[in-house]
Amino acid sequence: MNKFFTKKISIICLIFIPIIFLWHPNWLGFLGVQPYWPLFWLLPWSMLNGSINGLIFGFFLGLILDSITVDNSFTQIPGLLLCGIWFGRIKIHGDFLVGHFRYGLICSLGSFLCGTLYFMQILVKNFSDSTFLLFIPSIKNIFAEVFLTGFLAPLICSKLLKLFRFSRVKSIKINF
Amino acid sequence: MFNIRRISTSRWWHKKKSWILFSILLFLIFVRITKGSIYKDFYYFISKPFWPGHSQKDLLLKSFNQEYLIKLNLLKKDNIRLREILNLQESSNSDSILAAVISRKTGSWWRQIILNKGSKDGVEIGSIVMGPGGLLGRVESTSFFTSTVILLTSPESKVGVWMDRIQISGLLIGSGDDSPNLILYSKDAEIKVGDFVSSSPASTLLPPNVPIGIVQSIEKPFQAKKTAKISLLAKPQAIDWVQIFNLKI
Repeated sequence: MNKFFTKKISIICLIFIPIIFLWHPNWLGFLGVQPYWPLFWLLPWSMLNGSINGLIFGFFLGLILDSITVDNSFTQIPGLLLCGIWFGRIKIHGDFLVGHFRYGLICSLGSFLCGTLYFMQILVKNFSDSTFLLFIPSIKNIFAEVFLTGFLAPLICSKLLKLFRFSRVKSIKINF
Repeated sequence: MFNIRRISTSRWWHKKKSWILFSILLFLIFVRITKGSIYKDFYYFISKPFWPGHSQKDLLLKSFNQEYLIKLNLLKKDNIRLREILNLQESSNSDSILAAVISRKTGSWWRQIILNKGSKDGVEIGSIVMGPGGLLGRVESTSFFTSTVILLTSPESKVGVWMDRIQISGLLIGSGDDSPNLILYSKDAEIKVGDFVSSSPASTLLPPNVPIGIVQSIEKPFQAKKTAKISLLAKPQAIDWVQIFNLKI
């Protein structure tokens, strides 16, 4: 049993992302906004397993998160797909401090990309009603999310990367 | 004569990894089709020890008394109008379901709450959800144990509302922040800060005269439309208990 958990730790972490996404703890929020949780898992996973794996699991994550949110007209898949590909091209940095700083910066940019793509979908959907201008003030959601994601990423991503590296030899690695 | 023979026959279906990937994909399709109900039901069980206590019910009842006073005034006026207009939708408060909020996403783009009552308790898609103060939103999907409510602040929410003081209908649009926007399709509508907004008496989606909010600020008219920010009476970020009403249409 213990061996099983060691081998599959990355997949077990993936399963718990939607639970954290639903949990939405208020004490961790900033302006009522939460960090973009899926990026914390996707960054170390893609860095270790490459762009193709990043793309596949970005798509999987998007599917699950779209399923548990009630917004049927908008999707998180494009943002997570692009982040998966991009994160897969990033190499692990040797320097402790620079490495940690990079996680924060990369996750912030990823969160900005995902938030902007989602926001664009809202604007495009409401463009025909000419009510899209009403949505402009909600752009603060993106910036609050970028700040929080970048703030927490060094802490969470470095721990997850260590964990995934530890279990990497026996974990599922999909090569195409 | 050469005997041509394949030394190894490696196909993708011989790889264990391909089957693992295929089964993950099947599972995700299942999650997608069931709208994540397996996750919501799982979340129901693991969050059970942390649900709000029963003392919240007393606070809820006090708030409902205040709300009923506002409703009473509205109903008196509505009664006069009903003598002239027929075929208004009936709503009954007798078949309400009390539910606790087990997941709350009130920030960012996803503005929804998940309640601990689902299809087994008789919750239906389209039922309205009210908290202390007024309307919170509508039930968008249900699983066996839970129901997901799309809040009035969600970018997907659009409901018809009624401005009682100036006797005019408008459209309440969620915009992804805490104050939804009210659109009045008349440039000359004389709305004021502090005006009361309720559900439309002629609505087919909502019961009539449900308190919704108060005008917080008014913007300049644009393209023969007047827009205003609405402060909701029911605060989804602070409510732990809600009532679900199944509509009789």
